[in-house]
Amino acid sequence: MTDEKKPEERKPRKHATEAAGKIGPMVKAALKENLQAKEEGKPIAYSFIFSGYDEIIRAMDIVPAWTENYAGILGVKRDAQRFLEKAESENFSRSLCTYALCGLGFDSWREELGEMPPDPPWGGQARPTVMLGSGQIICDPRYKWYQAVQHYMPDVPVYVGGLPYPPYEDDYDYRDVQDYYVKYIVEETRGLVEFLEKHTNRKMDWDRLSEVVDISDRTWNMISEAYDLRRAVPCPMGTGDAMNTMVPMTFMMGTQEAYDFFKDLYDELQLKIANKEGVIPDEKYRLLWGGGLPSWFALTDFNYFNSKGAVFPAEVTYRLVEPVYKLDLPKVSDPLEHLAWRWVKYWAYRHDKARKRPGSNPDVERLIEYIEEYKIDGVVMHEAFSCRSWHPGLIWQLNQLKRVYRDIPSLILESDIVDISSYNEADTKARIDAFIDTLEAVKSR
Amino acid sequence: MPVDVSGGGLATVEKYYQDYGSRARELKKQGRQIMGYLCAFTPVEIIAAAGFVPFRIKGDVNEPITKADTEMETIVCPLVRSCFDMALKGKYEFLEGIVIPHACDSISRTYDVWKYTLNLPYSHLIDMPHSTDEPSFNFYKAILGTFRESLSKFTGKEISDQGLNQAISLYNQNRAKVRELYELRRTSPPLISGAEVAKLLIAAVSIPVEEANQLIDSVIEEVKQRSGVPEAKPARIMVVGAQVDDVAFINLIEDSGAWVVADDLCPGAREFFDDVDVTADPIDGIAERYLRKIKCGRTFREKKGDYEDYLEERFGHIGRFIKGFKVDGVVLYIYKYCDPYGFDVPAMKSYIESVGAPVLYLEDEYSMSTIGRLRTRIQAFLELLG
Repeated sequence: MTDEKKPEERKPRKHATEAAGKIGPMVKAALKENLQAKEEGKPIAYSFIFSGYDEIIRAMDIVPAWTENYAGILGVKRDAQRFLEKAESENFSRSLCTYALCGLGFDSWREELGEMPPDPPWGGQARPTVMLGSGQIICDPRYKWYQAVQHYMPDVPVYVGGLPYPPYEDDYDYRDVQDYYVKYIVEETRGLVEFLEKHTNRKMDWDRLSEVVDISDRTWNMISEAYDLRRAVPCPMGTGDAMNTMVPMTFMMGTQEAYDFFKDLYDELQLKIANKEGVIPDEKYRLLWGGGLPSWFALTDFNYFNSKGAVFPAEVTYRLVEPVYKLDLPKVSDPLEHLAWRWVKYWAYRHDKARKRPGSNPDVERLIEYIEEYKIDGVVMHEAFSCRSWHPGLIWQLNQLKRVYRDIPSLILESDIVDISSYNEADTKARIDAFIDTLEAVKSR
Repeated sequence: MPVDVSGGGLATVEKYYQDYGSRARELKKQGRQIMGYLCAFTPVEIIAAAGFVPFRIKGDVNEPITKADTEMETIVCPLVRSCFDMALKGKYEFLEGIVIPHACDSISRTYDVWKYTLNLPYSHLIDMPHSTDEPSFNFYKAILGTFRESLSKFTGKEISDQGLNQAISLYNQNRAKVRELYELRRTSPPLISGAEVAKLLIAAVSIPVEEANQLIDSVIEEVKQRSGVPEAKPARIMVVGAQVDDVAFINLIEDSGAWVVADDLCPGAREFFDDVDVTADPIDGIAERYLRKIKCGRTFREKKGDYEDYLEERFGHIGRFIKGFKVDGVVLYIYKYCDPYGFDVPAMKSYIESVGAPVLYLEDEYSMSTIGRLRTRIQAFLELLG
């Protein structure tokens, strides 16, 4: 293990918005809250983003520890390698999800030492009270990672609740199956509440949950409205910043703080639009980040795009909400049922649209929608080698986009989310340069 | 129609294994409809009850993946990529459709790639849950109901309970015969090699279940009547992994001076050992088998009791094979990019060692070129076993 390796010092990425600049301190504060909660004996839950139970955790006053986030921080700080190597020394393949490997490396090391691994970025990650996974067609590590962690922390209970969504199929409509999907999700989230009550000594306050759900609904709407403002020319905020503003969306959902953050962002973007202030002064190419998690250690690549006159007004990645008022949700009094409907309808949001275009599917339809609404000139994706949740299907989506819609310049970058050994800066920049040339050639036709 | 075993069951197995899909092609010409599927989690009973011949799509370790990369990422499980590559190269041109279960990310997250690229008349994703609690069980039953309706709509014929019960009975016979086959491996030396068993089971998932049953019977008979005692080899090995649908790796072990006498593989014991219980509603028994009985890394089992009990719950079947088949050492053979098995390695290794069997963990990429490189490590492991 190379625990003496010092992470390479990097200058912070330049942000276009003040909002994005607030994120670093927010993440730091959340980690501090985690460590403080540990000291005070408050329950801490290892959790995954976008697992549909943010509101439950918040309503029960349980402190979430977003393990993907901590792995991302290790990536941003270019300090992931020693944790990846630790996991590898435990016989975990380096081809597995590197978020999970960072977490497993960190946890197994902390258990071995009985204290935090040396020099943990931002104080490290506290030992949890419970670990909350989920079973869904999104990501195998969501039910495997914490089960694997139990090998080092067998006393920490794990809950894995089913959180499915109806697939897009030709021979039936999602409405034919939505009732049993919702019923199952409600049962599983109720199971989560029982699990948390049993293992954390916290009781669910159902009125409080309704309030939290209401805040998160309003936050979904506010995020959608704020992000829609990025349609403006010049674009006031790019994907580079959105990779920061995903923090309150994914790690703080159900809090007033998250709502306020996006309200501030909305106001800031309005102001920028009024002042005709874009990410870059001379906007030549508008690009869509069409899929794939970013390389957290190389977010400055977005600035490199900017330096070539390219901006990203929209991204598929981490745009994990739709306006709630557009989801056609039934009125229900049970907040868990509301969450279940919101989940199912979110995933089915573009089913009807896709059905109208032969050969399309909801993912392709989303690309088309963003291309049109954000006046996109080209699509960029990232294939992270260690993640089989968001990355399989990207090549096909691009191919299908061209088959059912139109030819559009595209680029697929290849690297990883946190494993910097997979990244070649010179090669990445050369590929971006070539892509810009293509965009230019297409524009001048 | 009875399967032709006039030249001996093992010769027929060799034919079906070497020319995989040949029987399905013949049947297609005779008017049968062939339904392709991936993974042991596809409930073949429902497909058979709908009147199709369920056909397991396999890859080919000898065939470089060339076409698949134009539509499917190289970060997907190499076995799935190889299967897709073979399909794109026309190897399975006889398929009427494809059924893909939500087994793992590599399989389910590529569903649309399969569906739209192959553009077959029928496709269906079975959205199987990962958990095994009561709500998950009921949800899975509803999912199977949707699948049943979907197939009925496609064929224009209802899938009756009676049809399902018949299919269940045939597949349970099939599983009983495989368990009988495995009995031939308990002796020392085993009466049948690991490679012969693997070829038979791979062939069996490419032909109708009735024919597979005859084929297994004939192989058992032939092996029992074989003259001469099989060669004595110093070590008895068990192989544990995901889907190993090629004998190259088993051959490598057996050519290095050991017998492969047990496995936890697909096609293999994992896929063939558990029956569907006979239940009033046949979907109950099917759901129970696929969701709760099959022990695979893709299914999450809740920890009850202490951690040792948990390991026993997840891997106890491996321990029982080690004991029952007098296994000297276990090879964990895991593909690169396999999340369900990759995350299990430390726990599985620790469990197997706790029951007294040494473990060799190998990561591979489903290709002859990489399999060959494992020879030295296997030889060193066998030397260690003495």
